[in-house]
Amino acid sequence: MASSHDADATGITRRKSLAAIAGAGALGLAGCTQSSDGGDGSDGGDELSGPINIAGSSTVFPLMSAIMEDFAEEHPGVDPDISSTGSGGGFSNFFCTGDTDFNNASRPIQPAEEELCAENGVEYIELIAATDALTVVVNPDADWIDSLTTEELAQIWKSDPAQTWDEVRDEFPNEEINRFGAADTSGTYDYFIEAILGEEGHTSDYQATEQDNSIANGVAGDEYAIGYFGFAYYFQNPDQLKALGIDDGDGPVEPSLETASSGEYTPLSRPLFTYPSIESLAEEHIAEFARYFVEQTTNEDLVAGDVGYVPATEETQEEQMEKLEDAIERAQG
Amino acid sequence: MATENSNADGFGEVSRVRGIAFEYLSFGASVFGLVALGVLLVYVAIDAFDLANASPAWLLTYFLTLVVPFLAFCLYSADDPEVTRRALGALGGGLVAVAVLFTAIEALVTPIPRLNWQLAYLFVVAAPVTAYLAYVGSRGRVGAVGFGLLGRLVGGVAIGLAVGTLFLVFDALLWFLAYTLGVLPAVGLYAFGRARDEARARTAAAPVALVGLVAAVVLRGVVATYPSDLIIYLWTVAVPVAAAGAFLVADRRSRTAGAVVGGVPLALATAGGFLAAGAGLPAPTVLLALVLTGVPTAVYVSRVVDAGEGLAGLGLPLLLAAGVVAGALIVEALGVPAPDPWLDPSYLTEAPSRTPTEAGLYPAIVGSVIIIAMVAVLSFALGVGTSVFLEEYTPESGPLGTLTRILQVNIANLAAVPSVVYGLLGLGLFANLLGLGIGTAVTAALTLSLLILPITIISAQEAIRSVPDDLRRGSDAMGATRWQTTKNVVLPEAMPGILTGTILALGRAIGETAPLIMIGAATTVFRAPDSLFSRFSAMPMQIYTWAGFPQADFRYGVVAAGVITLLIILVGMNGTAILLRNRAERGS
Repeated sequence: MASSHDADATGITRRKSLAAIAGAGALGLAGCTQSSDGGDGSDGGDELSGPINIAGSSTVFPLMSAIMEDFAEEHPGVDPDISSTGSGGGFSNFFCTGDTDFNNASRPIQPAEEELCAENGVEYIELIAATDALTVVVNPDADWIDSLTTEELAQIWKSDPAQTWDEVRDEFPNEEINRFGAADTSGTYDYFIEAILGEEGHTSDYQATEQDNSIANGVAGDEYAIGYFGFAYYFQNPDQLKALGIDDGDGPVEPSLETASSGEYTPLSRPLFTYPSIESLAEEHIAEFARYFVEQTTNEDLVAGDVGYVPATEETQEEQMEKLEDAIERAQG
Repeated sequence: MATENSNADGFGEVSRVRGIAFEYLSFGASVFGLVALGVLLVYVAIDAFDLANASPAWLLTYFLTLVVPFLAFCLYSADDPEVTRRALGALGGGLVAVAVLFTAIEALVTPIPRLNWQLAYLFVVAAPVTAYLAYVGSRGRVGAVGFGLLGRLVGGVAIGLAVGTLFLVFDALLWFLAYTLGVLPAVGLYAFGRARDEARARTAAAPVALVGLVAAVVLRGVVATYPSDLIIYLWTVAVPVAAAGAFLVADRRSRTAGAVVGGVPLALATAGGFLAAGAGLPAPTVLLALVLTGVPTAVYVSRVVDAGEGLAGLGLPLLLAAGVVAGALIVEALGVPAPDPWLDPSYLTEAPSRTPTEAGLYPAIVGSVIIIAMVAVLSFALGVGTSVFLEEYTPESGPLGTLTRILQVNIANLAAVPSVVYGLLGLGLFANLLGLGIGTAVTAALTLSLLILPITIISAQEAIRSVPDDLRRGSDAMGATRWQTTKNVVLPEAMPGILTGTILALGRAIGETAPLIMIGAATTVFRAPDSLFSRFSAMPMQIYTWAGFPQADFRYGVVAAGVITLLIILVGMNGTAILLRNRAERGS
């Protein structure tokens, strides 16, 4: 009671205080409003926003998704997604129909795919992402073998292949060869044919899969097995399998980051690509992502350390950047 | 004696060997299947929670602080000396048996990878005994109260999180207008009509709702300023839920009790929401989870206190929480090496990453939840609609009857079509022809709904067919129209069966990967989808990708954590549906 008496004395009536509370309440509510274009646009500072759709090679997938992860962290407005569909699947189902902005590939685009892209009016440029050393592996218990020449490799994998190891080299055991390799949708398969087999074609007498994991498990469980896949898997699991040195005429060379970047590991070190569509590069956030991608291709920690590919040289990076800037200018200009 | 003889006469000479062999064959088959499944789950759990690195001291600590008090609670609730004796026998005897058997196998046959006898005891004896005792305990009054409270706490949080997830893609502003202009007036009118027995008010509710919804859609394009998201959720979800709880209690007890039951959780949730906003947490989700947990819990506690029986059960959540805290303190104090689980809070709230320890499943979880919610609604509506039409409205004879039968056979065949084919259909029809976009959430939901539609239709048809015809004829005889018969007699009777079929079908849909690959769903995304037309990733896709990563940590730990997450969400979803079904069963 005393307090209300005091209030009266100072001239604050109930009506006045109600009005004051209502006013304060209205102000408070006003502070809790948002405009209809969404309340969380307060990231500020970074105007880049929009989706980036990427599909393609499962070999390039780890590299692209690692770069994307960093880019998404730096630019919260950008909403990137990536699918691992295989190089060919990405080109024919998504990229050349105009549904994705980039397509990753572990081999250059093929004529049939070029045609499809042209039919749908999709223009693109080719960017080199990194270098991969295609690795041939055998069981770690197979102490009778350390290296193969390219001819021997072809003998094992050609369309009419050697059935037992001693057909390949006399001192090898008389045991059947069990082959594990990439499926024919894979860019790795195409590259292996191009580099080793040529006209002779690839055998169909092997376990074909898109999963490096299955190849590794197959080889790890069988002393007389042989398999091949991208370098990353072997790089992350060096104890599980034994990588063979490849003799291209100058003595056997083991696959490693050094031998691949110095160009010693022939003919199995191969460039990996990504293809941005020129129409997409007209959008600023996609152009910015493409620039970021090319910048990161020389990042040793990321490309070699985290993923297990050979980073591009400064020189390659400069070339790629010029090519990209030209394309961006063409798209936006 | 006489009966035995007559049996022998009837069947001639019968050898019992065949019967016994058959029995053991069936027993063997079921044991083989269950054990194989069990071993798989045990290894997945060991990987996901890093139990291989759990020291025996750590296991013992939590066994004593968490498991033993829980078992004691269940035994106290069951209040049956026989059960107590059996449980203690199984725990003690199991300890000796597992230790001896395990050591013998390790020493004589082969070392068992990544498992020690303590873990084997945990999975083979402790977990089944705990489950059994939880079942027995929940039948006692104290246990029923405890588990009821626990269920409301856990279920409320889960539903709150799920609703919060759905609001990530559905336009909250549109919902605000629709609720304010359509839903609220219509419900108010209907309630008024019920209370005052005004038939006109009740019939007016539907048109009012419709007008309100149309107005909402129109106004959404015009109005520029809205209350903040937090206020919207407070107004459209928290207040109605609290009001419903308050009314429930006010009806039974007093207005004051009702006001307390509704008001206290509402105030707590509001405060929590604003605090979360200040702390940078997702405020709307916090608000929803708190209010959807708080109000049912308060209603439940008020009802238990009213009934006055089994009050001790209300302590169960406290008992468990105290066990966890005490365990953590002891482990900390003694410096016991604790496992570092892959499945931890950051795994559930972070985006995928190339570093195994930082990898998270959040965008894929949100994608899966959104898709499955849409699939549930779509397939339920389409499936039940189709089956009701086929069972109740189409003639059984004549040319139309033949047509119906052809349709039925085709539906049954469609159920066996491989999911990849549905993926192609989704790609062609929804993504390309209708232009809903490649790999968008709405395309995926439509495709998956089509995929499980045959299963839902067939099971709903079976359920409707199993409703006795006498009931329909009886309803007809009362002068009911066919619609009234279907609505009041057939559907309530068939609902448990319909729900069972839908639950099974949804379980299939959540794990499907092939159709998602076909429609171009992304393998990896770094943000949760924020509209129905954004590209998304789903849990099985992300898990499959991780399984192919070269690093061993991905292939074992991260994948296992993903599998457990998928299983938990699946079990939670099915659990909700089963609760609904049981309710429908009891209702009929």
